[in-house]
Amino acid sequence: MKRIFLAIAFAAVSTAASAADVGAGRYQSVLGDCEGCHGKNLAGGVELMTPFGKLVAPNITQDKDTGIGNYTAEDFRRAMKEGIAPGGKRLYPAMPYPAYARMSDADIAALWAYFRTIKPVRHVVDVNQLRFPFNLRFMMRGWNMLFFRPAPYVPDASKSAAWNRGAYIATGPAHCGTCHTSKSFFGADTGLALSGALLQGWFAPDLTGDRDAGLGGWSARDVVEYLKTGRNGHSIASGPMAEVVEHSTANMKGADLQAVAVYLKDLPPSAGNGGGASGVEAQMKSGAGIYRMNCAACHSFNGRGDSVLFPPLAGNALVRQAGAQTLVRVVLAGSKAVATPAAPTGPGMPSFAWKLNDEQVANVLTYIRNNWGNRAPAVSADEVAKIRARHGS
Amino acid sequence: MSEQRALSRRRLLASVAALPILAATADGRSISGHLPWSPFAGEPPKPVSPLGWYFFTPGEIAAVEAIVNRLIPADSLSPGGKDCGCAVYIDRQLAGDFGQAQRLYNKGPFMPGLATQGYQGDLTPAGRYRLGLRALNDYTMATYKRGFAQLAPAQQDAVLAGMDGGKIALKLKPGFSTKEFFEMMLQNTMEGFFADPLYGGNRNMASWKMIGFPGARYDYRDHIDKHNVPYPRPPVSIYSAEG
Repeated sequence: MKRIFLAIAFAAVSTAASAADVGAGRYQSVLGDCEGCHGKNLAGGVELMTPFGKLVAPNITQDKDTGIGNYTAEDFRRAMKEGIAPGGKRLYPAMPYPAYARMSDADIAALWAYFRTIKPVRHVVDVNQLRFPFNLRFMMRGWNMLFFRPAPYVPDASKSAAWNRGAYIATGPAHCGTCHTSKSFFGADTGLALSGALLQGWFAPDLTGDRDAGLGGWSARDVVEYLKTGRNGHSIASGPMAEVVEHSTANMKGADLQAVAVYLKDLPPSAGNGGGASGVEAQMKSGAGIYRMNCAACHSFNGRGDSVLFPPLAGNALVRQAGAQTLVRVVLAGSKAVATPAAPTGPGMPSFAWKLNDEQVANVLTYIRNNWGNRAPAVSADEVAKIRARHGS
Repeated sequence: MSEQRALSRRRLLASVAALPILAATADGRSISGHLPWSPFAGEPPKPVSPLGWYFFTPGEIAAVEAIVNRLIPADSLSPGGKDCGCAVYIDRQLAGDFGQAQRLYNKGPFMPGLATQGYQGDLTPAGRYRLGLRALNDYTMATYKRGFAQLAPAQQDAVLAGMDGGKIALKLKPGFSTKEFFEMMLQNTMEGFFADPLYGGNRNMASWKMIGFPGARYDYRDHIDKHNVPYPRPPVSIYSAEG
């Protein structure tokens, strides 16, 4: 009888312990936005268009044949932090192991405890659709040797606990730099971290303290509001960031968002966006007329938009990025803002591809980027034509 | 007889049984969480080509251009209906969905309706124009030995006034009166005169300039406080990118 009691007590304790792990691990998957690439049920299938060809996110459910059900905890830790799967198979850094290498072993173990509870889904994914020679996985051995500097996160004692927590999240599990840090010819991080980069036809904006293109004009509270609700008085998340907000940041704890904001607000300013356009009077004049006809009703004549529904263009850092790819894409294809529990409207912007030709899109964007105190390089019709051809209309 | 009734009852029961299934599929789409959205979406109206004719025959073109020019004569206010493209507008409408009554139920039974219910017969708008213009030509040939386009303006006005006032009865079809034909042409001419230029009429936005309508603008907040000051900007079309 006593033995049964003990057994029950032990079972209860161990279940409680693993339940805590599972909860913590589930939160790690929120921080890491696993769903963003591996899909809602983590069975894979999301396509990533890289400069080297197509990669498809693999099945990471517990299915033994098509998922990672055969992994041990150590296998998982190695894949996450070293980019090496069982059998020595090299992962591509589209799986952000260079960022995950900074995660603590405890967080990785918690994440694995959560993954063990994921329902196995049988789903074969043809992961590696890269062009030759990038499809040869052993090449990643050389890449890792050249560019991969795995280092656990080392707290900076001169900074606050919140700053360190924010730095850990942003550079570790949340892997912000995977999109927001520019990549070299070899796909390795280059230049100033988080100073903006072009990826998959979107320009992921500058997150440094630069006043033109970065978050220099945002308060820490603005950053928290944006990450929590998908919008604030400056901007609305759309494109790939809409998915990040929906799956990841909207579900982060308030204290963690605050920590991320503290860290981002402390980033030194980048070199800026290249400065304002000059000698573009004709573009500006035409752009003003196009703006009046097509944009002003929502974004208003003074560029201030309308509260949190229509984002302002005056003083909007997204408008002043060095690269205008995101803006061109939004004007051509339209855009759908994220809907979060805190801000469920998810306003949309219509497509203007049917109405504005390449030159008109270039003119109105040059106008928006250099009006109401905005300063950013001009946009050319050639640039618009390329983006229109690439994304279709 | 009884066999027939049994059959229809069986069929009725079968169709009643099928109803919930059909209703369920028809009602099956529910939207929650995300509103549907796709990039590059949009079904903009297609601007018509101003060249050539898609529906009217050469004889009909002459008659319709003469008619729209009498309904909207050139004067100090605006160019005439022909120069404004009203005939082109009607031609494109009759060649398209409107001409084929695409959005109307046009199967039998055909019963006389009330005046407020509009045309109730089996002819499409395209069919009514074809019949009406032929009957009009027959009438003017019999009365004046000329087609409508060759009549003097005063004679043209007399014919149109007669059609409108019930003094002239063209040989049409039961349920389609001469006055109805006249009113249809008047209605479509006005549409051509005032509609967005992308539909072929309202050339150079002549009618909008005439009445001071600024066109397809949708935001006047920069002007709303300027009382008794005319809006300074010229009219714009749906397809105007700049304004």
